[in-house]
Amino acid sequence: MVFDGRFYANKPELAARRIEAIGYQVGHQLSERYTMERPRFSDHLEAIKFICKDFWSEVFKKQIDNLKTNHRGTFVLQDNKFRWLSRVSIDPSSENETEDPSTPGESKAAQAVSMYLYFPCGIIRGVLSNLGIPCAVSADISSLPTCSFVIRVKA
Amino acid sequence: MIVCVAVVGHQNNPLYIQSFTEADDALKLHHIVHCSLDVIEERVNNPKKSGTTLNEAFLGLLYPTVNYKVYGYLTNTKVKFILVTTDLDVRDTDVRSFFRKFHAAYVDAVSNPFHVPGKKITSRTFAQTVSNIVGSYGLN
Repeated sequence: MVFDGRFYANKPELAARRIEAIGYQVGHQLSERYTMERPRFSDHLEAIKFICKDFWSEVFKKQIDNLKTNHRGTFVLQDNKFRWLSRVSIDPSSENETEDPSTPGESKAAQAVSMYLYFPCGIIRGVLSNLGIPCAVSADISSLPTCSFVIRVKA
Repeated sequence: MIVCVAVVGHQNNPLYIQSFTEADDALKLHHIVHCSLDVIEERVNNPKKSGTTLNEAFLGLLYPTVNYKVYGYLTNTKVKFILVTTDLDVRDTDVRSFFRKFHAAYVDAVSNPFHVPGKKITSRTFAQTVSNIVGSYGLN
């Protein structure tokens, strides 16, 4: 498959799906390697804690800073200094009202940054899926450089 | 002597099965592996009855037949490893060490970007590594 810049330039949704799928495969394979020495997880929370501590340390050399859950299948993993966004500039105009009428409240910079997050979202989804936990993962960048990953476990 | 090793996926789909005997026992060994899957499911769903440590990967002796002993191992990703041996006295440490090396070889095979999850493992390197592990089994 040739990744022609022009093919994806006007179809960000296609690119996003493809990137997320690649992340999924990577997460799938990494989960085999990083769960090798560990006993089996007894519940979903243990699997999520594994991602927050051991898995995040292996991939990003740091742990997740804050984990929140509503105890009903939604988990929020907050990384206060996500390494893959550490060099992304924070658009000062996103503090004021945006001029773009079609996407109220979301500047173009935020849209560009969100493209970078499909890959880690895919990785998380791949890891959980290989542990038997189907889910949907999205990212929240409302307060850069803090990045939150929202995991919704499918019942 | 190890006569058969198998890798079975989380939907009980066979990912790798290899016999190490001269005789034409392949079908019988496949059948033994298939039966052992039921034992594994029972062990995992009823931890109190079996007495094994909860959540440990190594499942121990699954069931002895007349000629064979069958050992099981369940990974975190619900992949099962089956070992069939004809040895009469088997040391626990040997089997555990075997599964540890086997798990490492499996992880390497699955990390191959050309490997499709859920499909059979076709890597020749994996087959060779497994032969080496089987060859060095019990020699320590």
